[in-house]
Amino acid sequence: MISRVADHCFWLGRYLERVESTARVLGVTRNLALDVGLNPRHVWLPVIIVSGEQARYAESGQGRTDDGERVQDYMTWDDKNPSSIVCSLSAARDNARSIREVVSLETWEALNALYLWMGSPRARVEWREDRHAFYRRIRTSMQSLQGIVRGTMLFDDAMHFMLLGTMLERAGQTARILDVHHHAFQALGSHEVIETALWLALLRACSGFEPFMKVHRGRVTPAAVARFLVVDPIFPRSVRFALRAAVSRFERLRPPEQADLPGSRSAARLRALADWVAALDKDFDVAGLHELLTHVVDETAAIAGVIGTELLGYAEGPAAEMSAQ
Amino acid sequence: MDAATPLLSDYAGLPGTWDELFTSSGAPRPAFRRAIDALDAHSRAGFAVCQGLAERALLDQGVTFSVYSDQRGTEKIFPFCLVPRMVSAADWATLERGLLQRVRALELFLADLYGDQHILRDGTLPAELVLASKSWFPQLQGVRPVGGVRIHIAGIDLVRDPQGTWRVLEDNLRTPSGVSYVLENRILSKRVIPDVLDAARVEPVDAYPGRLAESLRSVSPVDPGETSAVVLTPGPYNSAYFEHSFLARTMGLELVQAADLFTEGDRVFCRTTRGPRPVHVIYRRIDETYLDPEVFRADSLLGVPGIMRAWAKGNVALANAPGNGVADDKAVYPFVPDIVRYYLSEEPLLAQLDTWVCAREEDRRYVVDHLGELVVKAVDEAGGYGMLMGPQATKAQIDEFRQRVLAEPRKYIAQKRLELSTCPTWVEGRGRVEPRRVDLRPYILNGRDGPWVLPGGLTRVALTEGSYVVNSSQGGGSKDTWVQKPEAA
Repeated sequence: MISRVADHCFWLGRYLERVESTARVLGVTRNLALDVGLNPRHVWLPVIIVSGEQARYAESGQGRTDDGERVQDYMTWDDKNPSSIVCSLSAARDNARSIREVVSLETWEALNALYLWMGSPRARVEWREDRHAFYRRIRTSMQSLQGIVRGTMLFDDAMHFMLLGTMLERAGQTARILDVHHHAFQALGSHEVIETALWLALLRACSGFEPFMKVHRGRVTPAAVARFLVVDPIFPRSVRFALRAAVSRFERLRPPEQADLPGSRSAARLRALADWVAALDKDFDVAGLHELLTHVVDETAAIAGVIGTELLGYAEGPAAEMSAQ
Repeated sequence: MDAATPLLSDYAGLPGTWDELFTSSGAPRPAFRRAIDALDAHSRAGFAVCQGLAERALLDQGVTFSVYSDQRGTEKIFPFCLVPRMVSAADWATLERGLLQRVRALELFLADLYGDQHILRDGTLPAELVLASKSWFPQLQGVRPVGGVRIHIAGIDLVRDPQGTWRVLEDNLRTPSGVSYVLENRILSKRVIPDVLDAARVEPVDAYPGRLAESLRSVSPVDPGETSAVVLTPGPYNSAYFEHSFLARTMGLELVQAADLFTEGDRVFCRTTRGPRPVHVIYRRIDETYLDPEVFRADSLLGVPGIMRAWAKGNVALANAPGNGVADDKAVYPFVPDIVRYYLSEEPLLAQLDTWVCAREEDRRYVVDHLGELVVKAVDEAGGYGMLMGPQATKAQIDEFRQRVLAEPRKYIAQKRLELSTCPTWVEGRGRVEPRRVDLRPYILNGRDGPWVLPGGLTRVALTEGSYVVNSSQGGGSKDTWVQKPEAA
């Protein structure tokens, strides 16, 4: 397919995942803040850090992290914050609008409907009156969109590029959420009951609460949760699962036996990362969690850059990640 | 009168003007009786709800155009009026024949102009007038496009005079737009007023994308089955982007931008994730002067260098062919009846507007003396720009146009202001229907096997009371156009 079109598909997939992830993290953090009597700063600061927006948030002048309303407002509505829900949603729609002949009509309509709703007074009313419903609506809209994509589009290269973007984004998101929270929890050095509440919230932020309970029968320990989110082979939001899905999409785009097709460096690097994460299953060490997750976050970003130069028509260079539209 | 009043109960046309649905005595035209009864079964309040649903659906589907002035591209919906414009089966049969004839003649005219120019050499048309057109490209002379077609898609604007005679207002042979609204408007009618549509017995329009894809493949330099055809767009910030993506989507073709294409060895290729892929047919929706910086504008960063050489060699088909603008030039328009007679030895079936050509001294003298009664148009402007509406103009505006006409007579033509026909139209602010002026743009496709007319078209309507300008850039909207099926024999 046309490289420019593939680029839009890839970023459409990434932004859809990012919108869903941000809405989930905000919704869950809000619940957590109500549950545990922690300093709001310890609850809300990680949200800003996960999005990578700490510096910009501080500069924006509203940089108080002890005020959950401000953090939520910034991460939901701020059009100068590229990680806010409105910005990610609008970027997703811009990408889809540039390839309307590629995405199915039903996909476009569902995405456009959510975009228009976000810009309407109805969204502000729901935000004010029922915050829980607000985040749930965004999350389920994104989930039904992913279903509409799979139910109405050809399983061709466009779909593979979209899902490649979605899965790389997901691997990075899960790794970041785990890293930042793990770090914050350690710094707290708190009471066991609170710690359990925090790890449960973290599972929920990754839609992993029920799946975790099914696998671990109720024993919530930091090591078990971290291990579950990183290396569980059948939990769809684990780093390992997301990377394996990314590899399988990539191999449909570029079958390994067709060595003459562009993309050899991306293929090698993506496969190496997926294999490395899978191998962690053997003797998972929670002490090295930060280094491990940092590697995953850096490497997923770098792989996206290589895919950009090899397949999506980006100019060679370190700025590849920035050329996202 | 209240909200429960039937929709058309007190509708009255304008004096001295043809109305599409009602006779001058206020009775429904017999051909549309059933449909008008079905429409009138809606109350005003009920219809207001339907109209609102239709507008909501347009926004939800993103059926929008971008506004040029805004860099970021504000999207607006093209205003839509749910009251349909109907065309009787008998009228349509006449129009269809006339349109086919006109397109055939214009096709022959272009082939001749870019060939041996018989029509100029024997003096049938004034060469100095034709060749002075801004859209005449001498560098394209001698090129014979692959497939033998230049006008793959034509949009011919028609209006109706107070006697009900259809007249051609202008030809669009470059990149006529609007057909996506024809199809989208029909989807709205089906969704919101299915009862009325059913009563009216209307020709379907959804064959268009399939027919277009077929005609594009028919002119390919390679076997139609092997053909890779694409739609070329300037990108999402172009005002007609919705239509570009609509056509690509409904034809199942890829939508490309100029940067996705390159040429090598006088062939055109597309950059893909699996390396270069050949391209054989390009439905281009970018202006020809931006097609190839090697030929048209060296300063342009847009376009595909070398694409014109590939076209001239017959390795790629461009639809429409570059250079067509000379045949839809407003200065050539007055001569189209002569063109029909010259190439087809037939009398033109479609009337057109009486036109004064300011380049001719005799006409010019008349025009400058009668500016207050005439509509003066600049030949190289479109979209309702560069016009003088004499009867509504101030003395200062008339004086200014007189100077302009005398300074550059080749640039202007003049016509009597036509009392364009009206159609009942929903007026939002008043919650009722009133007469508003309309035109009609049918679409004609032309492939290796000859032309075909889409049974329908874009009806544009001047939504402002008293206005004669239907262009979307100037407060116009659109209506679904219902061409009646012929009565079963």
